[in-house]
Amino acid sequence: MRLDMHSEMILDEYRAQLPVFEKLKSVVLEQLGHCLKENNIIVSGLEARVKTENSLAGKLELKGYKYHSLDDITDIVGARIITFYSDEVDLISGLVERIFEVDWSNSVDKRKMLETDQFGYMSLHYVCRIPESVCKLPEMPELNRVRFELQMRSTLQHVWANMYHDMGYKSDVEIPVEYQRNMNRLAGILELADEQFSLIRREINDYRRNVQSLVASGNFNEVPLNGDTFRSYLELKPFQRLAEKIATINQAEIYEDSLMPYYKVLYLMGMRSIGDIENMRNAYSEGAYQLALLQLAGTGLDILACSVALQNLCIVYILKQGFGEAGLIKLFDLLYGESGYNAHRAHRIYEQAQKINLIQ
Amino acid sequence: MEVIINKQEGKTLVELKGRIDTTNAEQFQRDVNPLMEADQLDIDIDCAGLDYTSSQGLRTFLMLQKSVNARGGQLVLRNMNPMVKEVFDITGFSNIITIL
Repeated sequence: MRLDMHSEMILDEYRAQLPVFEKLKSVVLEQLGHCLKENNIIVSGLEARVKTENSLAGKLELKGYKYHSLDDITDIVGARIITFYSDEVDLISGLVERIFEVDWSNSVDKRKMLETDQFGYMSLHYVCRIPESVCKLPEMPELNRVRFELQMRSTLQHVWANMYHDMGYKSDVEIPVEYQRNMNRLAGILELADEQFSLIRREINDYRRNVQSLVASGNFNEVPLNGDTFRSYLELKPFQRLAEKIATINQAEIYEDSLMPYYKVLYLMGMRSIGDIENMRNAYSEGAYQLALLQLAGTGLDILACSVALQNLCIVYILKQGFGEAGLIKLFDLLYGESGYNAHRAHRIYEQAQKINLIQ
Repeated sequence: MEVIINKQEGKTLVELKGRIDTTNAEQFQRDVNPLMEADQLDIDIDCAGLDYTSSQGLRTFLMLQKSVNARGGQLVLRNMNPMVKEVFDITGFSNIITIL
């Protein structure tokens, strides 16, 4: 590649400033990572790079005449945030504006550049600087002077841009017109999919909020049993009192384990609403305690998993429903996986239940 | 109480023999302490020779489980005799620890 003298001078300047670019890249990544974490935002990707000498030389060969100096090239350091949903781009750009100094005259919202009948590259590009308030290195003052480019786009926007780029095109002006229409059709499909994903997520969030308030209101019979409702129900700690009562048998400490594995079990036991679980809890808590008393008294075992309460409730429910040892084996198969031991355990519990008149 | 630790094919294999009770629970914890710092992720404990475990033993298994999970690994207890398994069952620990 042959460059004119002006471009060669820019390349020399690039080589001299490479340590600044590398440092800038790491500060940008660190700041963005910290900001996302602080705001509990999970993104699909966060990446940054320093433009390679070859890539810069290629750019200078094509349009070196546009740049007076290296400072005019704002994407030597480039970072990219790829969000899961398109509506998160604006949320993140707001946060970025709080951390970095945005050079508005060189920033561009490519999402707004398309006319209503156009589909194509959608991304938000900010040209920024690191303000001294965020990071200041006395030995490297250029760190606050050099600009960098930050691209923000959704995963699907990223897919489109990547495929486009993979075909060897950096700008939609270059693509042969006969293929332009097909690329634009794909952009339209992805834009629609992006919008639908955001919509579905919003609806799911609304549903979860409604479920939480329904569960909190105590209208359990109206709440269908599913993973979301069961999780909300567990937040009320419905089995805590029983666990604490069982713990008094040996003055045991309670280890809080997850009860979510019981969702599938309860569903397969025929529970279809949170009300069904409540009915089980109200009807069989005493039986579950009596079973624990028989099993734990005199053992000196003074640590219990919180789930022992729900485990015993399920056992008593199955016995009271008349499902017998076979029902218990099925319960243990579901909870712990199939094994020959489950039959032994079911038989032993069946005998214990008879002793305390849980079953006749 | 005997704790035999071996490393094999990327796994830490542990063999337990005897009883874990009030007389040796602290020793048991000291014996397995290196496993909480080991760089190996997966720990497989053969309990065929384990005759009994007290609450202190359960606590040590729980600590080991937390430590292994924090490193992204898995703790598996296998070949438990029915008496020991019953201790895990009636305390709800079968819900916490993978027992094969």
